[in-house]
Amino acid sequence: MPWRLLKYGLKSSHDEPRFFPESRPLKSHYDVVIIGGGGHGMACAYYLAKEHGITNVAVLEQGYIGGGNTGRNTTIVRSNYLTPEGVKFYDTSLKLFEDLSDDFDLNIFYSTRGHFTLAHTDSALRTMRWRAEVNKHHGIDSEVVDRDFIAKEVPYMDLDCAGHSPVMGALYHAPGAVARHDAVAWGYARGAYNRGVEIHQRTRVTGIRTQGDKVTGVETDRGFVSCNKVVSMVAGSTPRITSMLGLDTPIEIFPLQACVSEPVKPFMDTIVVSGSLHVYVSQSSRGEMVMGASVDPSVLHSTRSSFDFVEGLTDKMIDLFPFMSRMKVMRQWAGMSDITPDFAPIMGKTPIEGFYLDAGWGTWGFKATPVSGKTMAWTLANDRNHELIEPFRLSRFTDFDLVGEKGAASVGH
Amino acid sequence: MKVFDCPVIGRRPISEFDYVGEVRKPPMDADEASWAAYVFNRQGAPGLLREWWYHRPTGRWYVMERDTLKDEVVRFIDLEEVRYDIPA
Amino acid sequence: MTSRLDPQPLEWLDRSETRSFEFEGQHYIGFAGDSISSALLASGQTLLGRSFKYHRPRGAVTLANHDVNALFQSSEEPNIRGDVTPLAAGMQLTACNVNGSLAKDRDQIIGKLSRFLPVGFYYKTFHKPKKFFPLWERLIREKAGLGRIDTGWSVRRKAKTYGFCDLLVIGAGASGMQAALSAAEQGLDVVLVDENPQIGGSLDYQLVNEASAAVVRARLKHDVQNHTNIRVLPGHLACGWYTDHYVPLLGPDGIIKMRARAVISATGVMEQPAVFRNNDLPGVMMASGAQRLVARYAVKPGQRAVVLTANSEGYRAALDMVKAGVDVSAVIDMGSLAERGVWADELNALKIPVLERHTVYEAQGKEQLKRVVVAPFDGDKCDSRDAREFDADLLLMSVGWAPAAQLLYQAGGRLAYDSTLEQLLPQELPNGIFACGRLNGAFTLEQRLADGERAGAEAAAFLKGEPLIPALAACRDTQAHSHPWPIVDHPKGKNFVDFDEDLQLKDLVNAAKEGFDNIELMKRFSTVGMGPSQGKHANMNGIRVLAAVTGRSIDQTGSTTARPMFHPVPVQALAGRRFRPERLTALHPWHLDNGAQMMEAGVWMRPEFYGRPEERAQAILREVQAVRTGLGLIDVSTLGKIEVMGPDAGKLLDGTYTMRMSNIKLGMTRYALMVDDSGVIVDDGIVGRIAEDRFYVTATTSHADATFRTLSRHIVEWGLDVRLVNRTGTLAAMNLAGPHARKLLKPLTDIDLSEDNFPYLGLQEGTLCGVPVRLIRVGFVGELGYEIHLPVDAALQVWNTLMEQGAEYGIRPFGVEAQRVLRLEKGHIIVGQDTDGLTNPFEANMPWAVPLKTKPWFTGKPSLALLKERCQRSLRGFMLPQGYSGELPKECHLLIDNGDIAGRITSIAYSPSLGRYIGLAMVDQPLASSERMFQVRVDSGALVPLEPCSTPFYDAEGVRQTVDLTEVA
Ligand SMILES: Cc1cc2nc3c(=O)[nH]c(=O)nc-3n(C[C@H](O)[C@H](O)[C@H](O)COP(=O)(O)OP(=O)(O)OC[C@H]3O[C@@H](n4cnc5c(N)ncnc54)[C@H](O)[C@@H]3O)c2cc1C
Repeated sequence: MPWRLLKYGLKSSHDEPRFFPESRPLKSHYDVVIIGGGGHGMACAYYLAKEHGITNVAVLEQGYIGGGNTGRNTTIVRSNYLTPEGVKFYDTSLKLFEDLSDDFDLNIFYSTRGHFTLAHTDSALRTMRWRAEVNKHHGIDSEVVDRDFIAKEVPYMDLDCAGHSPVMGALYHAPGAVARHDAVAWGYARGAYNRGVEIHQRTRVTGIRTQGDKVTGVETDRGFVSCNKVVSMVAGSTPRITSMLGLDTPIEIFPLQACVSEPVKPFMDTIVVSGSLHVYVSQSSRGEMVMGASVDPSVLHSTRSSFDFVEGLTDKMIDLFPFMSRMKVMRQWAGMSDITPDFAPIMGKTPIEGFYLDAGWGTWGFKATPVSGKTMAWTLANDRNHELIEPFRLSRFTDFDLVGEKGAASVGH
Repeated sequence: MKVFDCPVIGRRPISEFDYVGEVRKPPMDADEASWAAYVFNRQGAPGLLREWWYHRPTGRWYVMERDTLKDEVVRFIDLEEVRYDIPA
Repeated sequence: MTSRLDPQPLEWLDRSETRSFEFEGQHYIGFAGDSISSALLASGQTLLGRSFKYHRPRGAVTLANHDVNALFQSSEEPNIRGDVTPLAAGMQLTACNVNGSLAKDRDQIIGKLSRFLPVGFYYKTFHKPKKFFPLWERLIREKAGLGRIDTGWSVRRKAKTYGFCDLLVIGAGASGMQAALSAAEQGLDVVLVDENPQIGGSLDYQLVNEASAAVVRARLKHDVQNHTNIRVLPGHLACGWYTDHYVPLLGPDGIIKMRARAVISATGVMEQPAVFRNNDLPGVMMASGAQRLVARYAVKPGQRAVVLTANSEGYRAALDMVKAGVDVSAVIDMGSLAERGVWADELNALKIPVLERHTVYEAQGKEQLKRVVVAPFDGDKCDSRDAREFDADLLLMSVGWAPAAQLLYQAGGRLAYDSTLEQLLPQELPNGIFACGRLNGAFTLEQRLADGERAGAEAAAFLKGEPLIPALAACRDTQAHSHPWPIVDHPKGKNFVDFDEDLQLKDLVNAAKEGFDNIELMKRFSTVGMGPSQGKHANMNGIRVLAAVTGRSIDQTGSTTARPMFHPVPVQALAGRRFRPERLTALHPWHLDNGAQMMEAGVWMRPEFYGRPEERAQAILREVQAVRTGLGLIDVSTLGKIEVMGPDAGKLLDGTYTMRMSNIKLGMTRYALMVDDSGVIVDDGIVGRIAEDRFYVTATTSHADATFRTLSRHIVEWGLDVRLVNRTGTLAAMNLAGPHARKLLKPLTDIDLSEDNFPYLGLQEGTLCGVPVRLIRVGFVGELGYEIHLPVDAALQVWNTLMEQGAEYGIRPFGVEAQRVLRLEKGHIIVGQDTDGLTNPFEANMPWAVPLKTKPWFTGKPSLALLKERCQRSLRGFMLPQGYSGELPKECHLLIDNGDIAGRITSIAYSPSLGRYIGLAMVDQPLASSERMFQVRVDSGALVPLEPCSTPFYDAEGVRQTVDLTEVA
């Protein structure tokens, strides 16, 4: 038996504690069940335990920790949104991010890079100014910059875009950052686990039991567990969960794809997004170019990759960065994005007592991981929507009170 | 890339189509809540979905019933089936 | 020293052509047909690169596009795969990822520190204190990455083509060729591809000296190349499998986007390394790598060899080495000789010692293998007390295989571990996907041929819709060709599981122990399989290690997802040729000839203004004044132009637009506002009535296609008898505006222009300059104006005539910018500028366009009925104070009220007609309904007062667009 040998061989050297618990039986009752062990689920568990002392909590994850969109995203963190409610929310998140490594004692490689959103038309430039003005009003470092500024910061970019749709200016957001996505989920998971929260991987929620309009527990592929409160934090699987309750939402699922190049020596420090060309890129700490585009055009509950995506992406990318035509694409993948009509999340209480929703994260929810966890934990603990998420309540659609993020619709990571 | 095996025009790649989404009929005498539900809510869960697809090169509309989990078109819907009357 | 052998029977070399090149400043010579690595190895250069993390010396391992530690750098490209990149004359290469030179890489020190860099170490350090992380990060980033790019490199693009076939067979080895033949015999149109420049697969390197294979090889190659139903594409890599059998094939001339109706994967197996200390030293190779080196490139892999094996293939390799003149000191068999068959017998006959139930415990040497330490092995662990040493500069590893199943996984296939073969094998394949050959567990030549025949027949039956019971497992071997545990621990480590990422056995074990005991988590934490080879040699052993640590089976352990691409694919091939369609109006050349500055408007190009860039402001002013006082002419051909015909035309338009259209009088037009279901403004234009059952509709430039689409869908869903013709491209349009418009037109047209016959908002058909036209009295810019719609081929003639005849009225062409000013003076909105993604008509100050009472229904009506009472903002006009000379506000500057955001400017411009700055602002309530001054925050942060005012700013009564002032005067 090889494992005996291995255990023997290693005992002496490596005595690091486990990040996450080994598989163990489910309890029959929890105060809170969190569906989904992505960043959001883990963050919520963490803050429930840390800030509200609620630890009789189970996170149920059908696969492995961070295996959903958390582990697939391109990790852009920024707060230069268009609406005041968006700006305040994401700025809170960004500030939490900045201290996360310390908080976890785990390096999440939070790296401030500066974030350019290029404008290729005067109408795009107008929207940039709108965003910059709203951002500045809320104390966010964000400004419209001209071609000269961009040329200085990103000298290797072809601002003329090979002669079509030249760059006219950009929205520049100095605090724009990237981070190690997995580490964020792991850090939260470890922190939650160390505070007594149970994490069950390979445990799929298959149904939700209610009595009247109140949640009483969840069915799983490992049996029923009763609970007082359930929060769904499953991003691309949200409609599957809400349909268990017959709860209709505006969420539709569209694949969102990304790819990386072979690693090369770092040359690019900034994050560059082009709304008009629908592409964006940054360079990871491993040296890979991390590239993405906008969501696929039609609904699909699948993480299949498409060739059209890499074709379109590379075609546009080398208009901006001609030299990248000499590089190679190494790997592509996709996630399922939960898209809302107003490009804002759906958070908080629902018409079903004890059922809470954290969804509608679409293409932009990684950056919201800390603040979502924190505000959802607060909302669960107080059974009342946290003020930061009140604009994102589900009932806004019944009230025709949408969030205006749509005004800035482009590639919105 | 997905290919649709369409009536009349045959096998065409998905890139030739515009996706317009779920086929829905507006409730004509709805109260506020059900009107809002019509406007915003969607059948988000995986399963069979009737969707509008517009074939740009020919200007044809198709309504397909598609399994949104497997990405397979189950059938092409007779357009008569999705008709509704509007008050004049 | 040269290691080049005499010509080999199937070698790829063209010895008539030598090619000289440079590597690390040294001169080398190879042959045409060499790869970079083979040419270097032939010249005795066995150190080819350094590893990613520890900068350990590395050499050739596979020569199969998996040698990611033998990457090269040229002045043209980074990360060149030396093992497969054809040698070109004059290449100037250096090693990749070295600090200094390959020979003296200063970063070797990192290897010495490896003890202190346990798995995932970077998660556990560098972040305290926070302010130092950026410094650490810079250091880490400097060490990251492989090759170097030169940001000055020019763009390269390779054209793509499309291909179609019934059946795509991927892999032209024995089973693939046989499968292609079997399907082709059934009449299918077959494409057979192989990533290698020559077909034959392992027949040509593993069985090159096997007499029985010669006949088969000759037959298969001849038959596939001469079969009319088979197209053979050597040198083409199947990059990945995509939905509906769409498989891009990367070849030397670019990508062929192949659309098949079924696919057979005959992609074979990838040889897997044994894990022991220093298994990464140059000189330690896959047995198949050494065989490729000899057979394809006629390079002798070493002088003295030890062969480590767990299968019969190892004996075949040993025999091949002997034949190539290598002195084989010993064969180390992890199991027993009895299981190995005829090749073992042949080897025995040569009196080469075979050590059964032994394995390699350790390799020794500095930059090159010197010695192999072997020890008894019980199938699990090895007993180093009984270690023996062999001097050797070559160690072949033949301990097992992993299926090249990437394409199967991508297609949704499922594999399961077979404990007879000790290999993952296809278990369930989706429709239209087939597998055969070693990938499918068929190992002997007979099995491979039979399996190919079977897969070909099954694919043919599938495509013809004939019944055939799939027999995926029918031709599989009954003995293992892989060792279930080719892994030995060593107290000093450096037993690498992943060569790409420099991961040692303990790294994976420790990762699992820390809780990363799910295969995906282990991958993410340790980075196993994340390097450029995407784990081609690491994943299988990674799974074995994790299964062992957790006590789970291989199947329970699972595997990571195999994502495209199969090998990294050049961006230049993916991007293809550049295609940026632009639409140009019929008058485009005229605009250019007359000094227009062009701008993009969606897919169209439009004149922004006429004049030099530096006189922009004056030019726009001139154009505005021309329209107000004389005449202006603007090209509006980019408008959407739709003909709507049929008995239900009125009903269609009533349902689509907010206002009623069915009661428009013949020869009249009406403003047309379109909202979506939620009541948000999406387009505007006009609808004119040509006949009882015929309307003419215009749409904004950017929304034209969408409007056409919406109308055509409504026809279907409302069951209407209407036909649409999209005339956007076939009709040109120009707007002649200014007090003299009628005077200019009168002599040129047969249409009665009198106010009675042709009032404001009228529409008339007739001729102008002899050309059939439609004239529409429009008021967008606020003067007497005629929109002239006419066939594109007549546009230039009419335009020229108007410009010539209009000279006496001071006619000027005007562009988009002047039009923006003119319409702003009239308070007209631009959809998308003065509205945003949530603006409804009430907010846009157009309640008059929403007949909630008089129309029973139109798209969006119920929403607007709700929204009417809930408007939180409103579009208001404003002016800068008379004589204001400070900093100018811009569009999207914010209105500030009591320190809060209270709206934004949507349009602002200097109005020459008023001599003041005017604009529109979307203002929040309650400020919008108050009579208070607005304040806008400009760039400097200062607050600038704005005087709210009603719109239109200019000619509020609309006298100028309805009456001919020149005639009144
Ligand atoms: C390609 C791509 C790029 C992106 N780029 C960015 C970016 O740059 N910046 C940014 O901010 N955002 C980005 N996003 C969006 C971001 O990744 C997501 O919004 C975010 O990660 C959502 O996190 P989550 O924890 O809510 O969901 P997830 O990480 O998806 O976690 C949900 C979990 O729920 C589990 N689950 C689902 N159903 C069940 C069930 N029935 N029972 C148990 N468990 C279940 C899933 O297995 C999954 O692990 C990107 C997304 C993608 C796909």
